[in-house]
Amino acid sequence: MFETLGERLNTALDGVRGSGNLTEDQVKKVTREIRLALLEADVNYGVVKEFVSNVRERATGAEVSKALSPGQQVVKIVDEELANLMGGTAHKLTFASRPPTVVMLAGLNGHGKTTTAGKLALFVRKLGKSPYLIACDTYRPAAIDQLQQIGRELNVPVYTEGTEPTPEDIAERGLKAARDGGYDFVIVDTAGRQVLDADMMEELKRVRGRIKPHSVMLVLDVVTGQNAVEVAQAFQEYADFDGMVLTKLDGDARGGAALSVVKVTGRPVRFASEGEKMSEFDYFYPDRMAGRILGMGDVLTLIEKAEQQMDQQEAEQQGKKLMSGKLTFEDFLQQMQMIKKMGPLSSLLGMIPGLGKQLQGVEISDKQLGRVEAMITSMTAQERRNPKLLQNPSRTRRIARGSGMTQQDVKNLVKQFNEMQKMMKQMGKGGKGFPGMPGMPFR
Amino acid sequence: MATDIEQPEVEEEILDEPADVEPEDSKPEVETVEVEELAVEDEVAEAEQAGFEPDFEPDAAEETGELVSEESGGWFGRLRSGLKRSRESVVGQLNAAIAEFRDAGDEEFWERVEEILISSDVGVNTTAKLVAELEQEALEKNITSSDQLRKLMIEHAARMLEGPVELDISRKPTVVLMVGVNGTGKTTTIGKLVNYLPGEVMLAAGDTFRAAAIEQLQTWGERTGAPVVARQRGADAAAVAHEAVEAAQQQNADVLLVDTAGRLHTKINLMAELEKVRRVIERRIPDAPHEVLMTVDATTGQNGLRQVKMFAESVGVTGIILTKLDGTAKGGIALAIANETGIPIKMISVGEKVGDLHPFDAREFAEALFGDL
Repeated sequence: MFETLGERLNTALDGVRGSGNLTEDQVKKVTREIRLALLEADVNYGVVKEFVSNVRERATGAEVSKALSPGQQVVKIVDEELANLMGGTAHKLTFASRPPTVVMLAGLNGHGKTTTAGKLALFVRKLGKSPYLIACDTYRPAAIDQLQQIGRELNVPVYTEGTEPTPEDIAERGLKAARDGGYDFVIVDTAGRQVLDADMMEELKRVRGRIKPHSVMLVLDVVTGQNAVEVAQAFQEYADFDGMVLTKLDGDARGGAALSVVKVTGRPVRFASEGEKMSEFDYFYPDRMAGRILGMGDVLTLIEKAEQQMDQQEAEQQGKKLMSGKLTFEDFLQQMQMIKKMGPLSSLLGMIPGLGKQLQGVEISDKQLGRVEAMITSMTAQERRNPKLLQNPSRTRRIARGSGMTQQDVKNLVKQFNEMQKMMKQMGKGGKGFPGMPGMPFR
Repeated sequence: MATDIEQPEVEEEILDEPADVEPEDSKPEVETVEVEELAVEDEVAEAEQAGFEPDFEPDAAEETGELVSEESGGWFGRLRSGLKRSRESVVGQLNAAIAEFRDAGDEEFWERVEEILISSDVGVNTTAKLVAELEQEALEKNITSSDQLRKLMIEHAARMLEGPVELDISRKPTVVLMVGVNGTGKTTTIGKLVNYLPGEVMLAAGDTFRAAAIEQLQTWGERTGAPVVARQRGADAAAVAHEAVEAAQQQNADVLLVDTAGRLHTKINLMAELEKVRRVIERRIPDAPHEVLMTVDATTGQNGLRQVKMFAESVGVTGIILTKLDGTAKGGIALAIANETGIPIKMISVGEKVGDLHPFDAREFAEALFGDL
């Protein structure tokens, strides 16, 4: 649906390459595209304005390097500016010197507070803490039930008093119970509310005042639109939150709201929540959000995930091989098995630049990966090392039979493999392959 | 990095074989049998769940008292007052801009309007279209006063938003499938719909995934007196739908509202499951579901458009219910949805009370967006 900013910029700057400095006219074109891309990503209008003027300043007169297209060059500037704004590194949890650490969750209805409460509990338990949940949503039908069920699943205790007492009373007594029980990380779930509902916002203030949490986190759905700014300001006023949890990141929303909120409140995003599984929750890496907002994919996360599975040397070798276009099916198989270890394929694919768009509406299952694997394992060692042999129909026929696929499937695989080789070779030469990935670090 | 590489490959693999989810379709009979066998278990499950209920009764009683309450001025009044409180933002700005309007040839003025529309989540494309139309007509008609311009804006926006708003509930039973992304207010909207719709309404607890979703619907059932067909958590949503349609037919219900689990439109497996729910209903009553209503959170930004497109492709959405309009959001995404998908906005939900569900009125909505408040 959306073009990536990289593509847009390349179009806008078509034909300009290695020509010294960007001209004023080029910069104008470029900033217009950036503005549109950010607006489409739901970044608040006011924030966009200021941001674009910063980029304009930096881009004007910027030297165009030979390695990068001017579009890539600008993307790099934008990316850096965005990362700057989002605050370079992850904001990890700090724990109270005198436990328990108390965290209160607040946010609009339906943004995922209760689910986040469960995910956070699991997250801190993995850090060696003993979590304790307090159910203060006395409004939504079955909200307490929901937290109790999550607590049972995770084997985390949940403090409830039903819906009669006030949330501040429940919170206070719950906190005492947590202390008595020796729990060292308390998570207080509150009801969802609308910021114009003054009574509800006052209530939040009272809960906060009563239990004095170490941290208040605003839970924000990544699809939130332009009003994110007003929402965040209201929650800042009443609950003085110190960080955000960004939820439903497994969707395809660009999440410009996060940028707006960070910019307007000065509060960082601390956690990223995606997926239906309780374990799909992690620290938020601000530098990576830039790519998502711009539609450039989350290259860094992917690299890190890959690195966890692959040692440095091997990575270097693979990298060289790739760029030289001498990839074999053996390498391919090896990598595929590595990918399997990295997690569900669909979550990985979204991180690849340029793929985001093509992949919309396509879900790739690990089953399909299995088919490719079956075809490769049906090749002889010689064939794997020398894919050219696979031009021979009797070989592809044999492989098809061996893997339970059709001959056409095998031919397609070989064809795609060859195309990929070509693409990688091009990238190795620093061509226009992937916008926004200048000098991919192979390290 | 190395891992990047095979992805395009695998992706194409799949594009060749989109029919991966279909096989399930070929064994509907098995599902049917399952349903009848499990009927007894359901009662047990329901009895178990009843253990949780006491928590909610006091609350339920309180809210029931509010079933008929309606603030003076109706929903439009509430919407207006909601917007009024955030005058500083969009509407106030728009009013200020319009008040200064003198000349349709003033480029800066139109840029300002564009800015304001985008700030209401109308989106870049729809804003561009609307502003181009307005500019052209304002020039042609030589409009010079801000009142005339305001009228013109309302007219254009209303035209964009207009569509058939009536719910088709002429069948007996009429089956309404409720769909939407997580947290957009499906279950709450169902509770409100029971109150809104005439006749005997029955509910199907088709969200078998989220913790306590079934209990949430059952609480609504108790508050409104609507029977709820439910199974235990984790049950097949399609089986619940099947059983509910059967029950609605046997018990002569007028309307059956089928709740479903919230799902992101990007999750193909979950969307396929939703399609299955639809197919199961269709098999039982060929022209059902008669309505497929999708809840869209009014605070949603441009992703709302994608949500609607994907759900429409998958299960044929017949109407949108815009929820949570009581916040600071202007619901500009409604314009984008109407303009780019043509799917009518049928209802809006402006508050937390059971009576806060209203048929969508394009003109009033446009007036609330652009009117002098």
